[in-house]
Amino acid sequence: MSQPAPEGTGQNVEGETPEPEPEAVTDEVTEHADAQLERTIGLTGGLAIGIGTMIGAGIFVFPGLAAVEAGPAAALSFVIGGIIAMLVALPTSELATAMPRSGGGYFFISRSLGTGFGSIVGLGLWLGLVFASAFYLVGLGHYVVAVLSEVGLALGAVPLAPHVVLGLVAGLALTALSLGGTENTAALQNYIVLILLVIIGAFLTYGGLDALGVFGRTRAPEPFFSRGIVPVFSTAALVFTSYLGFAQVATLAGEIKRPSRNLPLAMVGSVLLVTVAYALTIIVATAALGSGRLGTAGETAMVEVARALLGFPGAVLILVAGLFATVSSANASILSASRSVYALSRDALLPRRAGSVNLRYGTPHVALAMAGGPILVLVATDQVELLAEVASFLHLVMYGLICVALLVLRRRDPDWYSPTFRTPGTPVLPALGAVASFGLIAFMNLASILVGIAIMIASYGWYRYYAGSVELRGDF
Amino acid sequence: MPDRPTVLLPIRILEGESVPEGVPELLANAHVVLLGYHVIPEQTAAGQARIQFEDRADAKLEELGETLADAGATVEDRLVFTHDGQTTIDRVNKEVDALAILVPNAVGDVEDVLVAVRGTVGSDRLARLVAGLFGDRDLGVTLFHVPEAGESDADATTLFEGLIERLVDSGLEESRIETQVSRDADPAEAIAGAAADFDAVVMGETDPTVVTYFFGMPADQVAERFLGPVLVVQRPPPEA
Repeated sequence: MSQPAPEGTGQNVEGETPEPEPEAVTDEVTEHADAQLERTIGLTGGLAIGIGTMIGAGIFVFPGLAAVEAGPAAALSFVIGGIIAMLVALPTSELATAMPRSGGGYFFISRSLGTGFGSIVGLGLWLGLVFASAFYLVGLGHYVVAVLSEVGLALGAVPLAPHVVLGLVAGLALTALSLGGTENTAALQNYIVLILLVIIGAFLTYGGLDALGVFGRTRAPEPFFSRGIVPVFSTAALVFTSYLGFAQVATLAGEIKRPSRNLPLAMVGSVLLVTVAYALTIIVATAALGSGRLGTAGETAMVEVARALLGFPGAVLILVAGLFATVSSANASILSASRSVYALSRDALLPRRAGSVNLRYGTPHVALAMAGGPILVLVATDQVELLAEVASFLHLVMYGLICVALLVLRRRDPDWYSPTFRTPGTPVLPALGAVASFGLIAFMNLASILVGIAIMIASYGWYRYYAGSVELRGDF
Repeated sequence: MPDRPTVLLPIRILEGESVPEGVPELLANAHVVLLGYHVIPEQTAAGQARIQFEDRADAKLEELGETLADAGATVEDRLVFTHDGQTTIDRVNKEVDALAILVPNAVGDVEDVLVAVRGTVGSDRLARLVAGLFGDRDLGVTLFHVPEAGESDADATTLFEGLIERLVDSGLEESRIETQVSRDADPAEAIAGAAADFDAVVMGETDPTVVTYFFGMPADQVAERFLGPVLVVQRPPPEA
């Protein structure tokens, strides 16, 4: 049982005050004065959320885009991304066990660094997830187009590119399903992730053996750093979108059973697993096709890799897996974006009605619309790399600040801070995590950086205008 | 009078579920843990639903609690927002160590109660519940047993005698107790069939097996067919 987190004070321009904090948090419930909130997600569920959100992008969208920029060394880009993610996942785990509440990174930062930073991260998290969902949906569109062309259907004669239209349709459908669907899909999500892992595992095993020459195919080996060293880092910045999922686990911290055990395991476990899978994927893909051909195949390069290795059935298998993976990533991000809106409205940084629940379906219709609406606009832009980088930018800012928050809390050690998991190697590793998170931003395209900074400034402006007197930081 | 037995009464508080007619009288001698729960879809955070529905749910819960207290029960209430109703019922059940969970169905005046007895295992809790709830009440209690293959009528009689002795010791008049044996192959079927002549059923919990996974728990099957209140006696919590 952990200590209650600090109370928020002050009010926003509508006169709303932050909701009071719960009285206690146990392994099974969050205890309010007159009601309990049941924790219903176990370790498997937590891992499925982390892996399900991440695996869609890194394996099914990025290999082509990454290989053309960094060559086979793109595998190293993914490893760099994985190391940074791990450096952040450990402090996030510690903070989440001390404050197992909905909102994740936003919650930790607003309680330790204050409302200003909290607003930048909170609004940034919401919009970061919006950018990420749009990115997954464009990827999904590409997969549907590939499926259709596989069965001999070519889409044309529309003002927008076919994959954009399909991405829009999918985004609309997912939002509508979240609005009106009352079936619990958690079990379904777990099965989808399991099936994906089986397909990917089998594919990587076969491809790995082939790359080692077991099946007697020989290829002219491509030099590892075929594009030089610098692109390895810029590619790491690009593909970092593949590592956003572990923070989604923290966003749901308020709903996870036995948080002190399950949160660290789910976050660290999912980062480890996807890092290995991503690096292997690049090695297999570049060995099978070479970076040049991967680049030409673009977002659905993995289908061509599977075709080269296993023929038509392989291509179909990866197409199906790609559809599932991108849908599950997009869906998880829409739901997380809606949770972030709720966390902000609970703390009076957004109007309370933004988090309100629909009486008919019991779903948060305003928050879901605030996720789904902007997602559709972004899908229509069709700027895959920009979408991915802005999503990464906004998350990296949060990740860096999470590390800073950990260092601040460790130093001040307030009464209410009693984590059950402690990050090893403090202060060195968290400091390294902060530097790496902020440092990775420097390798992004200028356009992405500018969009990201504009969103941060707008977020801070919104806080000063709307909720200037709200104070969420705990006593030190 | 024996201690008040703790009975868990789960109610889907915001879906119009209420304490059905006759149930407050049935539980007049119990300590009722009134569990009002609201199942929310995954898209919604439990805290989000709390902010919006707590006041309404609380008022409803209080109203239901008063109905039970007016009939004589002592009441303790809980309000839970959850994504999974069963998880919540199981957790609260464990926390309060309820002797039984009530599947709430309406009933008129309770005059005859059917008590299904499985074996000596768990008969202690069964006896405590029956004696506690009905010990000083003017109603008939019929002990009902479906012997397993190889179990003789004499075995059944021995089982009944032990239980009757315990009930009489706890204050139940022996003249109000009857016994009945059924040779049906399917115990759930037999209980549901016999229940038609009674106002309420008391039966034991069954260990989950492959069969119960596909066909549902016998207690649920009985409740579905019987349409009256069923008290499902719970296993003691495992020793920590």
